[in-house]
Amino acid sequence: MSTLVERSPAPQAPMEPERHGPVAWLTTTDHKKIGIMYCVTAFAFFLVGGALADTMRTELAEPGRQLVSTQTYNTLFTIHGTVMIFLFVAPFGSGLANYLIPLQVGAPDMAFPRLNALSYWFFAGGGLLVLLSGFASAGGGAAMGWTAYTPLSEARMSPGVGPDLWILGIALVAVATLLTGVNILTTVFLLRAPGMTMWRLPIFTWNMVVTALLGLVAFPPAVAAFALLLIDRRLGGHAFDPFGGGDPVIYQHLFWFLGHPEVYILILPTFGVVTEIIPVFSRKPLFGYTGFVLATLAIGALSTGVWAHHMFTTGAVDNPFFSAMSLLIAVPTGIKFFNWIGSMWQGKIRMAVPMLFSMGFLLNFLIGGVTGVMLASPPIDFQVADSYFLVAHFHYTMMGGAVFGLFAAIYFWHPKMTGRMLSERLGRVVFALLFLGFNLTFWPQFILGMRGMPRRIVDYAGGLGFDTPNLVSSVGAGVLTLGVLVFLYDLWASRRHPVAAGDDPWGGYSLEWATSSPPPERNFTSLPRIRSERPAYDMRHPGAPR
Amino acid sequence: MRTISRLLWVISGFGLGVGTLYWFLTYEATGAVLLWFFGLMPMIVALWMWRRGLVSAHLAEDEPEADPSASAGEVVGSFPLMSAWPIIAVLGVVMAGASLVYGLILLAPGIALLGYAIYGLMRESRH
Amino acid sequence: MSRLRVRLAASSVLVATATGCSSSFGMPRGGTEQGQEIFKLWQIFMIAGIVVAALVYGLIAWSLIRYRRRRTDDPAALGRQFHLNVPLEVVYTVIPIVIVVGLFAVSFRGERRVERLVPDPAVTLHAEAYAWGWRFTYGDDGPTVVSDPSGQGVAGPTIELPRGRTTRVVLTSNDVIHAFWVPGFLFKRDAIPGRTTEFDLTPTDEGSYHGVCAEFCGLNHAYMTFTVVVTDPASFDAWLADRPSEAPTP
Repeated sequence: MSTLVERSPAPQAPMEPERHGPVAWLTTTDHKKIGIMYCVTAFAFFLVGGALADTMRTELAEPGRQLVSTQTYNTLFTIHGTVMIFLFVAPFGSGLANYLIPLQVGAPDMAFPRLNALSYWFFAGGGLLVLLSGFASAGGGAAMGWTAYTPLSEARMSPGVGPDLWILGIALVAVATLLTGVNILTTVFLLRAPGMTMWRLPIFTWNMVVTALLGLVAFPPAVAAFALLLIDRRLGGHAFDPFGGGDPVIYQHLFWFLGHPEVYILILPTFGVVTEIIPVFSRKPLFGYTGFVLATLAIGALSTGVWAHHMFTTGAVDNPFFSAMSLLIAVPTGIKFFNWIGSMWQGKIRMAVPMLFSMGFLLNFLIGGVTGVMLASPPIDFQVADSYFLVAHFHYTMMGGAVFGLFAAIYFWHPKMTGRMLSERLGRVVFALLFLGFNLTFWPQFILGMRGMPRRIVDYAGGLGFDTPNLVSSVGAGVLTLGVLVFLYDLWASRRHPVAAGDDPWGGYSLEWATSSPPPERNFTSLPRIRSERPAYDMRHPGAPR
Repeated sequence: MRTISRLLWVISGFGLGVGTLYWFLTYEATGAVLLWFFGLMPMIVALWMWRRGLVSAHLAEDEPEADPSASAGEVVGSFPLMSAWPIIAVLGVVMAGASLVYGLILLAPGIALLGYAIYGLMRESRH
Repeated sequence: MSRLRVRLAASSVLVATATGCSSSFGMPRGGTEQGQEIFKLWQIFMIAGIVVAALVYGLIAWSLIRYRRRRTDDPAALGRQFHLNVPLEVVYTVIPIVIVVGLFAVSFRGERRVERLVPDPAVTLHAEAYAWGWRFTYGDDGPTVVSDPSGQGVAGPTIELPRGRTTRVVLTSNDVIHAFWVPGFLFKRDAIPGRTTEFDLTPTDEGSYHGVCAEFCGLNHAYMTFTVVVTDPASFDAWLADRPSEAPTP
């Protein structure tokens, strides 16, 4: 079964016919299959997390109890947060990276194919445990919030096996992230095609390099914290138990040292996606490539020094230091906005669906970014931290930003992955529903937060000004759900009535558009000369201005 | 490789620098240790690259005018196209982990499965 | 043309600033001196945010409209191929740095004012959070107000504070992390077991304020509410004198 792997373009060795069927997928080490498995599994988790969110929005539609018990509600938001962060957005980024990086750098596969498969299965196993922790656990599901703050998550306050399974699940997902990170870095550092210098790497690949580095930096301390928590819970430790000499604030330090880089682990792949898409549909090169890469590196570096802005209200951290670092990180993010605008300037912009979603990303993420600057000021946090204002803020970055970017990625690369186009008409409907539904859901939550509604509450009193915004928000969640359903129909329709995509339906710039759709095993039968960061463009436009 | 080495050194310097700044501003040990280790980790790789003389190694991928055929056919390893061991290994890990929660009876088969998978992985890569 | 555009931009910034200074942007104005400091910061950040967002949205909208591919265009037409513009890149790096340094300065000054502790507070209020209620004690062993242990009333226990005098709140928790939040004061602080934290409240406006626990603390977190009533000092003294100095333990 073993074959020698050679750099592309390999001499035409007779290849085994490609295998299909469940066993081929379960045992595959091909980066494209693993990438697709990552994306599909992560998207399934998105549907689960979305269903949980819909249940919560129904519960909150009006004051008074409607649907679920308090305990169930607390489990719902715990699992919703965990699923969306650790099992959907981040792994979807890993999936795209697995699929695209070897193609974009011109490599036959990832550097460690079996490690890659191992990482996928760790993710799938961990995800399963996390779901179990919410719903199939004796003695109560995990209901301590996705942050699992101690001492609430200690055995005394959260008995039952739910939190233990949750910890194990997250630990496995963390291992998956580390393995993928090592794999990405090795592939990019050592398996680039001739002429693909570091300063010609496609931006998506650059962003995944920084994401991988962040994962390697951020996950180990958090896994240490979770291990200590498990020891506290099961083996009688007191690391974070204030009544046994422990310190809950140290847990928060360790957790947020993961938690804040994690939000950049979620958003950087999306920055990469959008930066691939905007120049292609503007028919222009990226404006300010070097500045963009440096800004990405700056975001990655600064994001390791801002963690305690989640702890401004504890009164136990140095607020000005973290306030300054958090404000500074707005600068490289702002630079990226100007890169994107510069890439559209004097272009010939074609509003295809991937570009639409990228514009949705820009519009939503800007609001997330601006409110993020507000949240970097500790006194403003004194009012809005842990309120619905904060909930709205991070959904504007994670949902309005990252998820819109991921939808852009799906519409952009689905033709490459499957050889079939998604419907342009349905895509516009999906975009309209998601954009409208998203803003309808989360804009009212800013108002709720300012009026004093805390997050993570199952119910609220009438007459505090919470009623109307909550109702609007719940209606918006319905519109969002409709958008996702139309999208699923679009996927199904593209299988049912395939429209062939061809190798390069969009006039793409990076190397993946220089091979067939879907690409063959080992990716390339021939490689173009690489003389700029747009090898596929150079290949199709010989003699055109660079 | 020079770009990569430079990148690692810059990250390392940033971590150590911010860690030190943080320490003298706050005297808070947890964060300072986290930042210092963040600085040390890339340094390990950077030092290794330096000692092995990889910093100035001349690779076709770092050559702006290289021809696509420059590294064609270069063997980068021998890997199976498919392998069942990763999924078996994770099955073992999940079982061993779940034993902590559902009863130690799962621990032995879990570890056995993991060991079997590791053995399988090693045997597979000998070809 | 471009001068007109500059003038338009400048005047829209002026309008935003002028309306901004009078607008609360939906935020309560803050019933304490400390809260009003936060409110001022909120206005400054909000105006800065609106100006920046308007600029960026404007640029995006302009690019999308002006540089869209028209029906008459050749489908294979390319945009102008330019890669960079170093002076422009320096400008759009330096300007945000200047903005955030300014914002940091006002935020730093504001936080100093909000967190300043006066040397001689008129009232000391010990607030102890527990799952899921509050225990408020005036002075070291003065009158105590406790959540009703039987159930969760919407209003929760009611405490009073004197207008115009400074109350020192000494906050702690005896089980998990909670947070003391009065949205009308624009202020919250975490109550962490094993730690004590202090802050001052100087109410300026009489009225009844809704208070909640803001840090998720387990099952009945949603019902962990309380009410703060701000009255004139004389009524406050009378109210305090009426309280029994020992209340049942929760």
